[in-house]
Amino acid sequence: MRSWLPVLRDRRRYIAFELEAEDRVGRSELVGEIRAAQASLLGDDGAAKNRLRVVSFDGRFGLIRCSHTRTEECRALLATVHSVGGTRAAMRVRGISGTIKAATEKYIPQSILQPDENKRRVDLGTVSGSVARVIGREIDLCPDDRKMTEGSGTRYVGLTSFDLCGEDIDADGTSDGL
Amino acid sequence: MNFYECNLHALPDGSDSASRLALAAKRLGYSGIVITNHTTTGQPFRYDAAKLVGGIEVVFGIEIVAKDQRSLHARTASLREKADFIAVHGGDEKINRAACEDPNVDLLAHPHDGRSGIGVAAAKAARDNQVAIALDLGPVIRLRGGSRVRWMEVVRRDLNLIEKFDLDLMISTGARSHLDLRSPKDLVALAALLGVERERAVDALALPKSIIYLNRRRWASAGVEIL
Repeated sequence: MRSWLPVLRDRRRYIAFELEAEDRVGRSELVGEIRAAQASLLGDDGAAKNRLRVVSFDGRFGLIRCSHTRTEECRALLATVHSVGGTRAAMRVRGISGTIKAATEKYIPQSILQPDENKRRVDLGTVSGSVARVIGREIDLCPDDRKMTEGSGTRYVGLTSFDLCGEDIDADGTSDGL
Repeated sequence: MNFYECNLHALPDGSDSASRLALAAKRLGYSGIVITNHTTTGQPFRYDAAKLVGGIEVVFGIEIVAKDQRSLHARTASLREKADFIAVHGGDEKINRAACEDPNVDLLAHPHDGRSGIGVAAAKAARDNQVAIALDLGPVIRLRGGSRVRWMEVVRRDLNLIEKFDLDLMISTGARSHLDLRSPKDLVALAALLGVERERAVDALALPKSIIYLNRRRWASAGVEIL
């Protein structure tokens, strides 16, 4: 690669993100979805200016590189990602930084709670089903009645441990200590 | 800042319980959420559990679904005393107009869903009655292609009206699940694409809080407060 004078080198920003999804999502699916969202929202011209690349993605956290003047546009286009490969998902921007090192150290947690995937039944009168997974206080429930999630297009019903017992005053609501 | 998400739907209207929405919104940086379930679906499931989520204020409002002007006015009048926040299920041209003409209404939710938007007459009425107009960003997130283009056209036209008449603006997503929620910064960036300035968008996200605090004071009649 040609070397550039330091003043001529294009400046970059690294966006640390978290993907919240209902199921496992691969890197290539995510990249395809981001590209489609970008092309649809900003067109080829905007895409060329953004210079967006997915630097890394581990299934939940990842880094995206973009031009340093276009972080707001990138934020907007990441917000329009609402499903990845047919799975309902949402991208959360955790922070933006100038180097990979800083973005990783500041915004990507090193230890995270793993989802607990043992199957249990929940029956709360109007809402019943089997637990799909539990992360911290958050519970995804696979409902018996499919119609329950019709309006939002999700697969699972989102509950918390507050709904199940409801007698926990100390809880501050953070799910995995991030 | 005190950002509030002003138009959320919890179980059985959406697919998340109120406490799950509160947890998700808190992590995204909101200081409060307003759950406005449609009047057609009834009370949110386990709404008392949402109060246990610390660090975020959960307000229960209501979104009125009415088929004509008369039933809308009757319902807002009867619900005004009970609810902290009254939204109207907009989209239909007549309902949009009727909501703007009703001083009991706090928010006209998603007026652009039916691609009709508000008109000049309704905008004037909204200014006189202090009805806030929602910029519902759900369609930008959900739609693609031609339908989003048409939606954006209507919204841009209405944003001009809102600017011209200096109407109150609120920004929401109309989320039915935690996956529909977006952080305040994301919403500001999305609104910027539609031509809403940064300061304006920030004010719009903070507006619900002041409206709710006004509503919670006890008013004997217009301008007369019981202390």
